[in-house]
Amino acid sequence: MSSAKVVVVRSKVALSLTKELDKARLVLMIERGLNLLAGTQEIKEAVSQIFSPPDRVGIKINTIGGRNISSRPELSFGLANLLVQGGLQEKNIIIWDRTNRELREAGYRLTIDKAQLKVFGTDTEGVGYDTDLVSHLNIGSLFSTILNNFITASISLAILKDHGLAGVTASMKNYFGSIHNPNKYHDAHCNPFIAELFDTRPIKSKHKLSILDGLRIQYHRGPSFHPQWAENGGLLVFSRDAVAADSVGWLIIEKLRAQKGLPTLEEEKRKPLYLFTAEKMGLGIAHFDKIQILEDEV
Amino acid sequence: MRYNDKGQELMRRRNFFKTLAGSGLLLSAGAGSPFRRLLARQTNAQLSKVEAWYYKKHPDREIECYLCPRACKLGDKERGYCGVRENIGGTYYTLVYGKACTMNVDPIEKKPFFHFLPRTNALSIATAGCNVNCKFCQNWQISQVRAEQVQHFDFPPQDVVESALKYDCPSIAYTYTEPVVFYEYMYDTSVEARKRGVKNCVVTGGHISQEPLLELTKVVEAIKIDLKAFSEDFYKNYVRGELQPVLDAIKAVHKSKVWLELVYLVIPSLNDSPQEIRAMCQWIGSEIGQEIPLHFSRFYPMYLIKNLPPTPVSTLEKAHTIAREEGLKYVYIGNVPGHKAESTYCPRCQSLIIQRTGFEIKKIELKNGKCKFCQNPIPGIWA
Repeated sequence: MSSAKVVVVRSKVALSLTKELDKARLVLMIERGLNLLAGTQEIKEAVSQIFSPPDRVGIKINTIGGRNISSRPELSFGLANLLVQGGLQEKNIIIWDRTNRELREAGYRLTIDKAQLKVFGTDTEGVGYDTDLVSHLNIGSLFSTILNNFITASISLAILKDHGLAGVTASMKNYFGSIHNPNKYHDAHCNPFIAELFDTRPIKSKHKLSILDGLRIQYHRGPSFHPQWAENGGLLVFSRDAVAADSVGWLIIEKLRAQKGLPTLEEEKRKPLYLFTAEKMGLGIAHFDKIQILEDEV
Repeated sequence: MRYNDKGQELMRRRNFFKTLAGSGLLLSAGAGSPFRRLLARQTNAQLSKVEAWYYKKHPDREIECYLCPRACKLGDKERGYCGVRENIGGTYYTLVYGKACTMNVDPIEKKPFFHFLPRTNALSIATAGCNVNCKFCQNWQISQVRAEQVQHFDFPPQDVVESALKYDCPSIAYTYTEPVVFYEYMYDTSVEARKRGVKNCVVTGGHISQEPLLELTKVVEAIKIDLKAFSEDFYKNYVRGELQPVLDAIKAVHKSKVWLELVYLVIPSLNDSPQEIRAMCQWIGSEIGQEIPLHFSRFYPMYLIKNLPPTPVSTLEKAHTIAREEGLKYVYIGNVPGHKAESTYCPRCQSLIIQRTGFEIKKIELKNGKCKFCQNPIPGIWA
């Protein structure tokens, strides 16, 4: 892999920590991001470059942070609607995370209607984790049947956050929410576990797109929500290269930390080394000099 | 049919399950297809929310657990490595207090304890969770999962003790998963059991901090520790833990006078070198003494290690020979039913004093804890 493309779309006016999101502007951000990433003018072209029409697409969101710092429904549904505009079938799109409780607490209404977009967690009755243990390098896990069976293509729509152990949590670590035992992979700053999990067949074969939600960024003392260290970032990051997307997310967090007078993650001995492990494994690009960053504002 | 020493028929396992079902206690998890279905659908049964012991509160709703050497530092809403303790708003809770995921009446020899109440049954319980992640775990379906991922049932300490009495079990065994992770439940049950004359035995990997371990030794009678290897590398790569805290735990238990037995699961090419086994036996002999029972147990391919064959019996016999050469007096071979090294021999007169086949005791030639033939005292808790 020689280079990677990452798109950062910002909006100064669309987003507020305290007010309702400007949904229309949010959709514009997503649309701009996807088009810039695909080098297209129309959402239909962009979507068709990433997905096939019969794809069943799972949008893996992150709702562990409750209302304060979870994937916003406005963003998830905005993305889903654009995918439908782009030619995918609504009934084939699933917004999901590990538990229904967390989904509800983050503001989602659960739906499993066969004809509509679906929202549900792995702990939904009849869903659960697959029964076959996936053993790969240092990983031994059961995967959500949503990832394993229901979907053919995956989007990791992650919250961009500082992480006390991993350094940064973004689109790769978001997949910790797709396995039954994420608590077993936090040793050694989650390295090499985040990379090795991403390298498993259920994820690597289906992951198509990373989107980092930087509308509100927890730049210090994450992943829990601490308002004093949360910033209205007003940005979204897009890439088909999860390693590159997360590396740019790291860069964004470091810039915020520098602005606030905080030490770097390396100085705090929690540099996200798993990104470089992932690069070595051929999963994507972690070095900034090989990442093409396109920035835009709506 | 098996009978206890009062001539009462011991309840067969199947009947015990029926009784439980009839009494409203639903027994659930275990290996095999029924469990696999359980995992697939999970349960919504209520978890406990009992404040955990042995943790510190830090600013900004963060906590630090010091129950085990892992010392998890967790933010709000985060779960410990064990998967059964959670920081909720800056307070650390155990989610499995009184929430057993499995319960059986087992022969004490199954744990294995060979010098502790032989030919008795132990009411054996576990909750979900473990504080390490052995790649060869035999019970990973209940140990390597989060609390909500196995079906569990309410089984408070008083009911555990009542069940032990009802089913004629002189001891309660905290086993199958890692009892350190359900420490509060185990401790309270042990206290309750002692009040009622029931003994407590713990089957653990010994990955526990000294302070909680010393407190635990005040309320239990026996502890079996799995010494999984004698190298830090093995612990790092195959256990996801550390060796030194386990060695410290072994020494602390021995010092406490709680009955101690050790098990070493011999895995081909990973921890079976004669040098490693000899070094371990020398350490045991010098630090703990030569009278501690040591069980060399046979490995079967399991969980994440399926590319190795079962341990050759000859390897186990070699380990047994080394241990005897190093002066250990009570050395056993486990998971090889019918092997002569399942039995206990008097180290003085070499007579067969406890004959075992699998978990069954064929005969006991002990009187008041002494060899019936030469009156040599045999260490253990015999009644």
